Amino acid sequence: MKKDRYWSPYITGTILGLTLLASFYVAGRGLGASGAFSLAAGLGLNAVAPGYAGGLTYFSRYLDHPQPLLDRGFFLLVGVFLGALTGALGSRSFKFMLDKGASMTVRTRLFTGFFGGMLIGFAARLARGCTSGVALTGGAQLALAGWVFVIAMFASGFLFAALFRRYWS
Amino acid sequence: MTAPFPISDSLNLGLALLLGIFFGLSLERSGLGDPHRLTGVFYFRDFTVPKVMFTAIVVASTGVYLLADLGLLDLARVWIIPTFFWPQLAGGLLFGIGYVISGYCPGTAVAGLATGRLDALVVMAGVSAGSLLFAVLYPMVETFYLSSDKGAVTIPGLLGVSHWIVIIGLIAGAGGMFAIMERHEQRQNRRS
Repeated sequence: MKKDRYWSPYITGTILGLTLLASFYVAGRGLGASGAFSLAAGLGLNAVAPGYAGGLTYFSRYLDHPQPLLDRGFFLLVGVFLGALTGALGSRSFKFMLDKGASMTVRTRLFTGFFGGMLIGFAARLARGCTSGVALTGGAQLALAGWVFVIAMFASGFLFAALFRRYWS
Repeated sequence: MTAPFPISDSLNLGLALLLGIFFGLSLERSGLGDPHRLTGVFYFRDFTVPKVMFTAIVVASTGVYLLADLGLLDLARVWIIPTFFWPQLAGGLLFGIGYVISGYCPGTAVAGLATGRLDALVVMAGVSAGSLLFAVLYPMVETFYLSSDKGAVTIPGLLGVSHWIVIIGLIAGAGGMFAIMERHEQRQNRRS
């Protein structure tokens, strides 16, 4: 039974909520995921074009740091990978594949993955975080930012899914 | 003593790694490394995303405000996400579109890669490219990015009510939503 492979969403949601609570308690901040991608982009650009990267105001937040990889967001994300890998290996569900909608070609999937990812990356910078850093963290803090983001994200998701129905249904 | 306690940088990073492990484990064990499941909510087919998300929000918000009221956590030293209304509204709208198109969000893409999904790696490259694009275009979007700055405003603060009123409303709203989702899924299962 495919459905029984996973845990109840109320159990995993509780674990996630307690993890977020522990993060507030020990670090005084919530969780986050998108910041590490921005850090990676800044360091990547700096490696190939240091002059240009150094001139970008937005990246100075990473590049002015003496050891930019000693970043909380980066360590969180490495942990996410290790925790998810543990879950996938422990349940014997790890499998190399290129997952896609039933009617998608591989080329379409590569395009939707990259282009959709780009939209996410840009949007997360504009909103100062993503589903983790703004929606989950801000939502739990009862911060207006979190709820504005959550409502906007679901609203546009539902609207757009109607247009992109054939991709994932 | 009131948390958060001052800790060294290396302990902070070590704890971040540990918190990340639980974060990743809960995502993967929810099935949220799977883009079909991640997008299911938008097609009224699988409600795992809102179930996990709002359960976590209810648990964490109840915990945070309980610890604060008991004097065990000093909320003044917790970094509350600041509100920049219009850029966060626009960011949320764009984010939702990117989420449906790509099938992931940043954290779940990492969880997806950890389950062996190579399409998640493409999405991760896209997220980095989008961040790069933002940094390149930053001089053009800076005015908008810094606009409608409301500071670290919360909903109970905005409404001028106790946080418990908002949390009770949240619990009731989430509970009602979960009940509707469960009923909808049962009906779907019976049909198939």
